[in-house]
Amino acid sequence: MRLASAVILILAILAVAAAIFVWSGLYDISATDQHLAPTYYTIRKTMERSVERRASDIDVPALGAPEQVQRGVVLFRDHCVQCHGAPGVPPEPFALGLTPLPTPLARSGLDRSPAYLYWVIRRGIKMTGMPAWQYRMSDADIWAVVAFVRRLPYVAPAGYMAMEGTVIEKKEDRLAVRPADAGRGERALKQYACIACHEIPGMVGPEARLGPSLRGIGSRVMLGGVLPNTPENMALWILAPTAYAPGTAMPALGVSEGDARDMAAYLATLK
Amino acid sequence: MLLPFLIGCSEKEDPVALLGGDPERGKLLLRQFACGSCHDIPGVAAAKGKVGPPLAGVAGRVYLGGVLPTTPQNMAAFIREPHKFAPRTAMPAMGVNEEQARDMVAYLYTLE
Repeated sequence: MRLASAVILILAILAVAAAIFVWSGLYDISATDQHLAPTYYTIRKTMERSVERRASDIDVPALGAPEQVQRGVVLFRDHCVQCHGAPGVPPEPFALGLTPLPTPLARSGLDRSPAYLYWVIRRGIKMTGMPAWQYRMSDADIWAVVAFVRRLPYVAPAGYMAMEGTVIEKKEDRLAVRPADAGRGERALKQYACIACHEIPGMVGPEARLGPSLRGIGSRVMLGGVLPNTPENMALWILAPTAYAPGTAMPALGVSEGDARDMAAYLATLK
Repeated sequence: MLLPFLIGCSEKEDPVALLGGDPERGKLLLRQFACGSCHDIPGVAAAKGKVGPPLAGVAGRVYLGGVLPTTPQNMAAFIREPHKFAPRTAMPAMGVNEEQARDMVAYLYTLE
């Protein structure tokens, strides 16, 4: 009994101490100061274990066909070099100010398995600058980047320059038709920054309240004041709001049709 | 016509007071003009409509009808002539006069 009260007392003291620390503003959130080493290595190990666990059952396709690597080079040049750099190419200046610093991917190509790389590219990593590419890149393209990153440690700067010159047309295969999926839609809503302007139950964001709350949106009659609220219309609306409400502040976020239909399916469940 | 689009929120004075509406009268008017058949409005009898968005916190939203910066002046103008600002909106002009619109705005600004 006395032990129990002692434990509760200690927990209470810790909670108060944590609250005081948070409120005091003593923690230095600036990106100019690196994490303390224990903090950094704890977070890094947490990340590595988290990714390894989640990537363990990914089926890895055949990697390394010349066309695939070529495709990977182009995507890498367009989307990765800016922060990670490349053989002989520094990251853009802004990326040098990131904390934590993005890893040079020649190292990742040696140390990380294809499944690990695929998972990180696809899902992104919280509280780093690493975005989730799942909604901007097809699976085939993500694997192409993986294939190239695995090759990267063996590419000399001159070789990289030569490869980078090869431009290949981007193909959009993420628009493939499939049934709308509310679960995917919930995740997609977070990925297209909807929470930046709308309150959405169960999601956290900047709470900027530019537009109306989406609480109960599923039982509302009109959409944006202009369309009957059906999932089909909701998807159309998300794809191109100004087509229906000229002058609206809501922008088209470059949502794919499939993602828009998933989002609509999820929003319809918010009663 | 363009004026409401250009009005920012630079005024330091309380803009609602500046407009001079009466919130209590506004609350009654929101009921009388049946705003509640389309909008959920806290404190207004039977205002549980789900055609348009709920009006709780409407004054704290950045945009009004998605098209105007939210200011008391803009809100009054929008209430009176929604189509002027949102040409395809389902919200009808209910024949609200200027004074009534000011009162409604005064009440809507009291909603958290």
